[in-house]
Amino acid sequence: MSERAAPPAPAEALAAALTAEYAAIYAYGPIGVRLSGAARTAARQAEAAHRRRRDALVLQLSTAGATVPPDRAGYALPFPITDRASALRLAVEVEERTAAHWRAALAATTGPDRDQALDALIDYSVRATRWRRTAGVDPVTVPFPGRPT
Amino acid sequence: MAAQSVTRLRATRPGGAPTAVPHVPLRMVLTCPVARGRTAQRIPAPGHSRRGLLRAGGLLALGAAAAPLAGCDLLGGDDEAPKAPDPLRPLLDEALTLATAYQDAATAHPDLAARLTPIAEAHRAHAGELARLIGVTPPSSTPAPSGAPSTDPDATLADLRQRERAGRDAAVAACASAPAERAPLVGSIAAARATHLEALK
Repeated sequence: MSERAAPPAPAEALAAALTAEYAAIYAYGPIGVRLSGAARTAARQAEAAHRRRRDALVLQLSTAGATVPPDRAGYALPFPITDRASALRLAVEVEERTAAHWRAALAATTGPDRDQALDALIDYSVRATRWRRTAGVDPVTVPFPGRPT
Repeated sequence: MAAQSVTRLRATRPGGAPTAVPHVPLRMVLTCPVARGRTAQRIPAPGHSRRGLLRAGGLLALGAAAAPLAGCDLLGGDDEAPKAPDPLRPLLDEALTLATAYQDAATAHPDLAARLTPIAEAHRAHAGELARLIGVTPPSSTPAPSGAPSTDPDATLADLRQRERAGRDAAVAACASAPAERAPLVGSIAAARATHLEALK
């Protein structure tokens, strides 16, 4: 049997998702500082979700003998976080973009790996919707969560 | 490319001792990745191989000898069988039904229209994309959902939630079994339906 192209690389897609998780965890630092009350609690919970997936990915990739991309000491934010409004805007963006990485992983995975990717896509899409509601963004949903625009 | 951000991460570090924490733009890392196409990897469609025909013939002979139940069914796979419905067809029909349900509810309850109309539009957009993927033109007349919306807004929302939950579960199941090139769209539809449930809270 001849395989013309290289086999699809789930590890590569998962490594990209891991890199996005690193950045998301980093971003929730400055986000959380600008929030208070229920929004701050939500930020902490969102960060914990990203940490859980990061830890699972690191374990999964290293167990499979795949390259585990390194975390960085810092990531430049796309815009300055100066107040609650910009913090919420970034939170929406972080969730949508991590969702996009997991969405891309759907095509590269099957079975339990795909279930895992879909679970993350749904989780982060719902979190993005919650952040939009907190920020007063209307509508709170997008037609195709995680799809590159 | 999904790999790009990883490469960039590794690429930024010149030899000298860094004086400041190297920052990678979050934008780059979180740039929307493009799915790796796997369309060339699909398993070839089951053809009418010589071996398959021989096997069918053998089975036919066996069946004819054994019992009268060996009808033309055994050869059905080798003839030009009517095209099986696309596995995503139910998802398309469901999207249209959901769109109609939301639209009817928005008409019956103008107070809810601002919330429900974007969701109706999302379901229609899903139907459009699914139709494109399947290769059919979406039906112009939308199917009527079972029953008119209740006069009680709470009951209407409860009904929509129930429909949406079933729709989300169907899309999750469809995503699990979808071929690689279809999985991202179906996954987005599953996620969208989950966010609709959140919006109905």
